[in-house]
Amino acid sequence: MKKTVIRCVPVSGGASKGEALVTNQPICLYDSLDPKTGRIVNRRHELYGQCVSGRVFFFPYGIGSSTSAATLLETSRCKKAPAAIINLETEPIIAVGALLAERFYGMKIPIVHRPELDPAEAIRHHSVRVDGDLGLIEVLRHS
Amino acid sequence: MLDGEFGEACEIAMSVLVKLGEIYGADRMQNVENVHIDGSAYGWINDAGLEVIRKLASSGGRFRVPATLNPSSIDFDMWQELKIAPEVSKKQLRLAKALLSMGGTPTWTCAPYQYGAYLRFGQKVAWGESNAVSFANTVIGARTERLGDLADVCAAIAGKYPRFGLYLDENRRGQILFEANRLDSDAFDSSDYGVLGFLIGSMAKARVPVVSGMPEKATFDQLKSFCAAAAVGGSVALCHLCGITPEAKTVPEAFHGSKPEEEIDIEAGDLEKTRQKLSTVNDVPPEVICIGCPHCSVQELVKIARLIKNKKVEESARFLVFSSRAAKTLAEEMGAIETIESAGGRVIADTCWNFIPSKARTVMTDSVKMAWTSLGKFTNVTLGNMETCVDVAVGAKPRGGPP
Repeated sequence: MKKTVIRCVPVSGGASKGEALVTNQPICLYDSLDPKTGRIVNRRHELYGQCVSGRVFFFPYGIGSSTSAATLLETSRCKKAPAAIINLETEPIIAVGALLAERFYGMKIPIVHRPELDPAEAIRHHSVRVDGDLGLIEVLRHS
Repeated sequence: MLDGEFGEACEIAMSVLVKLGEIYGADRMQNVENVHIDGSAYGWINDAGLEVIRKLASSGGRFRVPATLNPSSIDFDMWQELKIAPEVSKKQLRLAKALLSMGGTPTWTCAPYQYGAYLRFGQKVAWGESNAVSFANTVIGARTERLGDLADVCAAIAGKYPRFGLYLDENRRGQILFEANRLDSDAFDSSDYGVLGFLIGSMAKARVPVVSGMPEKATFDQLKSFCAAAAVGGSVALCHLCGITPEAKTVPEAFHGSKPEEEIDIEAGDLEKTRQKLSTVNDVPPEVICIGCPHCSVQELVKIARLIKNKKVEESARFLVFSSRAAKTLAEEMGAIETIESAGGRVIADTCWNFIPSKARTVMTDSVKMAWTSLGKFTNVTLGNMETCVDVAVGAKPRGGPP
């Protein structure tokens, strides 16, 4: 039986669900994500052309620019934010974006990291619920 | 500060910093001596960031420690000539007003360690801008985490940042060893240092790299290029360069006496492969040639002037050089700016290549950082060095061969 609940460490609170968007390639949100559309615009990234809005977005960790915090915040303002974020390790840069989104726009982007196992294959092509208060990923069903 | 005794802005800033500290297991808040604010360009932080900063400024925000500012979205002197949208300029001016009202130092540069910021070994600071963070930790041995945009503004208002990550000795211990002894590094120019930094960053990923065999005579500008590239290649915020990094005089010191998790020899061929990966084309004449990512120092501006003197930039190309207002002013007095501009180049201050409107498809640069991060804006990029960039700008064909 495939495990359907994966325990993680909570980063940012709230709970939400969405279809998983999965990449094992680290990403810099600033130069890869257009916050006004939610689309990945970096041709060097394997998710080029995909949209993060409303998805449970798994990437292993963030790289590059410190601006990624503001990029994530702007996706909230534009209502194009991912439903939730799962990382192997969440950088403070990403966490700050979510903290500010809650404080200034009243929008929660649940974030969890340090999962007990690499969730990429377990959640790929599935609908997933992320609980950022308890630090849980629940795999709901095939999409 | 958290209870609002110091005003609303301070309460907001502290609440964000305290939550961040809780997430990352900080044992306490600590004072920081200065801050470098990454999110100083409207083009980077967008409307959401502008709203947050204006809210902090209007609710009594005041920087408790010196805070330098990263580039802006505009060159404050020539934004009209550069055809920056009036809407962007208007919002940038609002952002500048808010940041300066809180006490920001208008350095408008991504290389504040060159002009405007003062760092020393062991000092605790709170910096944003990945290249500047990497330089502060690696070259100076100051201590900073990589701050996200707006967390830096919060840190400047509070004069504090939670103590975790690279503020702690145990997290500064080297983890992966790169042997660079076999490279002909005496002949390296700044772009070669960039390629080396990128390779090390991409292999180290989130681990702290240690480099043995780095020439101690590496210049400030070469180290700038190395640190910027290491930060975009991986998430490198600290790279121990044995003999250069003050806390890593030797390999054992860099590893705090423990064994490396992994040891990697770097050969000339590895650098060549990395260099090729950084260009998407090698024989397409670029419409734009950019130097100054990170911002040029005075010495680099003088060197560009020497290379381009008595030559003429091709009519079909734009040759753009990016620097800080401080460096441009000094180089102006030395005659370098006039030399570059009379050859048809343009020296732009206060801002970043990111924000220059352009329909160009192909760009050439000497910057590894730019080569790696510019493909959202341009379709093709060629990585050269300062000499080849100037040569191509004045009409030489780009070097052929496979990209």
